[in-house]
Amino acid sequence: MKKFLSILTVLCCVLALTACAGRRSSVTEPDGSLDPCTLRFSWWGGDDRHEATLAAIDLWSSIHPEIKIVPEYGGWDGWTEKVAAQISGGTAPDVMQINYDWLISFAGEDTFYDLDRLSDRLDISGFSDEVLSFGKSGDSLLAVPVSLSGRGLFYNSQVYSRLGEEFPSTWSELTALGEPFSKAGIYPLDLDIQSGGTAWYLAVVKVQQDTGREFISMDGQLGFTVEDITSALRFYKELEDAHVTRTVKTRTDEDGSAALYQSPEFIGGSVAGVLEWGSSVGKYEMVLPEGVLQAGPFLTGDDGSSGGWMIKPSLLYSVSGKTDHPDEAAAFISFLLNDEACADVLGTTRGIPASRYAEESLEKNGKLTGLAQECDEMLEELDTVTISPYMELTRMKEYYNTAVEAVSYGTAGPDEAAQEMYDSITAYLEKMRK
Amino acid sequence: MKKRTYHNPVGVGKYMGLLLVSPFLIGFLLFTLYPFVSSFVLGMTDYDLIHEPKFSGLSNYGDMLGSKDFLQAMGVTLRYCLILVPLKLAVSMAVALLLDMELKAMGVFRTVFYVPSILGANLAVVIMWQFLFTSSGLADQLTGLLGLGHMSWYSDSRHAMAMIVLLRLWEFGSAMVIFLSALRDIPKEYHDAAKVDGCGSVRRFFAITLPLMKDVVFLNLILQTIAALQEFNAPYMITGGGPMKSTTTVGMLIYNEMFLYHDAGYANAVSWSLFVVITAVVLLLFRLTGRHREESI
Repeated sequence: MKKFLSILTVLCCVLALTACAGRRSSVTEPDGSLDPCTLRFSWWGGDDRHEATLAAIDLWSSIHPEIKIVPEYGGWDGWTEKVAAQISGGTAPDVMQINYDWLISFAGEDTFYDLDRLSDRLDISGFSDEVLSFGKSGDSLLAVPVSLSGRGLFYNSQVYSRLGEEFPSTWSELTALGEPFSKAGIYPLDLDIQSGGTAWYLAVVKVQQDTGREFISMDGQLGFTVEDITSALRFYKELEDAHVTRTVKTRTDEDGSAALYQSPEFIGGSVAGVLEWGSSVGKYEMVLPEGVLQAGPFLTGDDGSSGGWMIKPSLLYSVSGKTDHPDEAAAFISFLLNDEACADVLGTTRGIPASRYAEESLEKNGKLTGLAQECDEMLEELDTVTISPYMELTRMKEYYNTAVEAVSYGTAGPDEAAQEMYDSITAYLEKMRK
Repeated sequence: MKKRTYHNPVGVGKYMGLLLVSPFLIGFLLFTLYPFVSSFVLGMTDYDLIHEPKFSGLSNYGDMLGSKDFLQAMGVTLRYCLILVPLKLAVSMAVALLLDMELKAMGVFRTVFYVPSILGANLAVVIMWQFLFTSSGLADQLTGLLGLGHMSWYSDSRHAMAMIVLLRLWEFGSAMVIFLSALRDIPKEYHDAAKVDGCGSVRRFFAITLPLMKDVVFLNLILQTIAALQEFNAPYMITGGGPMKSTTTVGMLIYNEMFLYHDAGYANAVSWSLFVVITAVVLLLFRLTGRHREESI
């Protein structure tokens, strides 16, 4: 028996080493025709996006009943892990809504299909070269941006009216709101260190506006100095101390691990503001009475400086490199991005469409309204910075959140936390650039 | 040593035995031995789940020993184990003693006490737990009634750990059932004789019950220790490992490294370190209880 087990173990060693030695990749070539098949399509989002996307799939099914779409959708929390497991296991859906940083973190030989090879079925004529560049890796187009988006400030107008306060337009006005809101036992804005990571995001905007330096460049170089990071952490701590935002401790205590839009504090008006992507603000809008959530101005310095605010492709569509149906997947993406009726159904649930055709359709049908549109219009007036995909990497977010949490709990001062963050980020970026 | 010989009284072919155990063997090979060996091999590679693994020797183990996060997670796991296991053994033994009494409808009570273990740390239970311990939850109201004031369950590291321990403590059913079956195997005459000699219930527990149950107590100790050292579900779903990573167990660290940061080589190295720690703890328990000597007799 011992001999038998030894043989089995050796066999497993050989198998494991063989598995590690290399995997053959086989990419299905496009044939230009649309054949009957079933495609899996995955996305994340809130209920507004789910409902609209399911309606869009119904619309597709009425036009192409021979190409069945199987939807896979859910909330953002845990979504990256799920997709990572699918991609590494070779079971990724045929069509995926992907995040900007996934083009780096999931980049592999055949993770994503080169969409340039599917130009017969995928119409990208409605996109500018600049927009398409966000989905490129080298010369290959791996994904098509659905929309460009930036984080904007949205407030509970009922609460602000009740207190007789205006939405802030400068950083100092925001800080000053702490006092009247404190008297009422509530907060004018929420910043978090969970999946949103808005605490660090707002601090970066402030320092970028003050210094004119980009936090991280598009090629993954850290632009901030240790002093810049210290300033950002100090600014966040000042917001906490001024009662502008809840401390990490208070927030954790009140909300546990629930997302803000599911939190009784937000729904009940005890937290009256949120920093959110224009493309995702719908989930916050839905939990408040209609028209209550309103977009506020992007904050500027007292001298009128308005830079530092950031934009990125909010979402992108890609085709799995392992799909057996590249033509059909490309046709489906083209439909989602450009089709007039589909654009009408999807509305602005993924932000203002980057496709000219979809945008024109929404405009024609009077659907280019709402918070996403307001946020988009205000961003266009600003001198925005394009977010580096390296800034969005999950490990990087961990470094930001660790520093913010340490400063908030008082286990480290801004100087100490900044130095630790700087060292960690520098080492990690160097590894990722290789 | 005398060589053992085997008889084949039914006269079936020698491959029949292998055929009969093949369902187990195939499962064992595919789902236990192969992942086990693969994990060891991957632990010595630089592997991001997407690109081909590159052999990196023991560098992952070196990084691990120098990592603040790993050392903190190991500390959290050991502390959690030290708090939970004695408490769970004590509670499950106490409940088993109560359920061993001859009362009407005892079957119903036994079922009711076992229900939490069937539920486990599933989503519904976790949501219930989250509501119980939010700032205005039932736990907070109870501590208020007791004059302890408001307690920050999620944001205070000690309380967050207590919350997870309480969830697992609540699921004492499996340990309790093992104790209960052992209790029922103790001959009633021993207790009757002790009673005649004027022995009280506490004395009888320590002089009769506990010595006769030492093997079962040890079994439960080993099972609960291994389960506690592998803890993942409860902190992942309730506290997310926070605050300040104070409830991030080694199990959670492995998950984060694997699926959040895609550092599969490092995650597998940490998995093997956990395996070594569990083996060492179990061997230590055998040594402390003198069982290694009994086994060698």
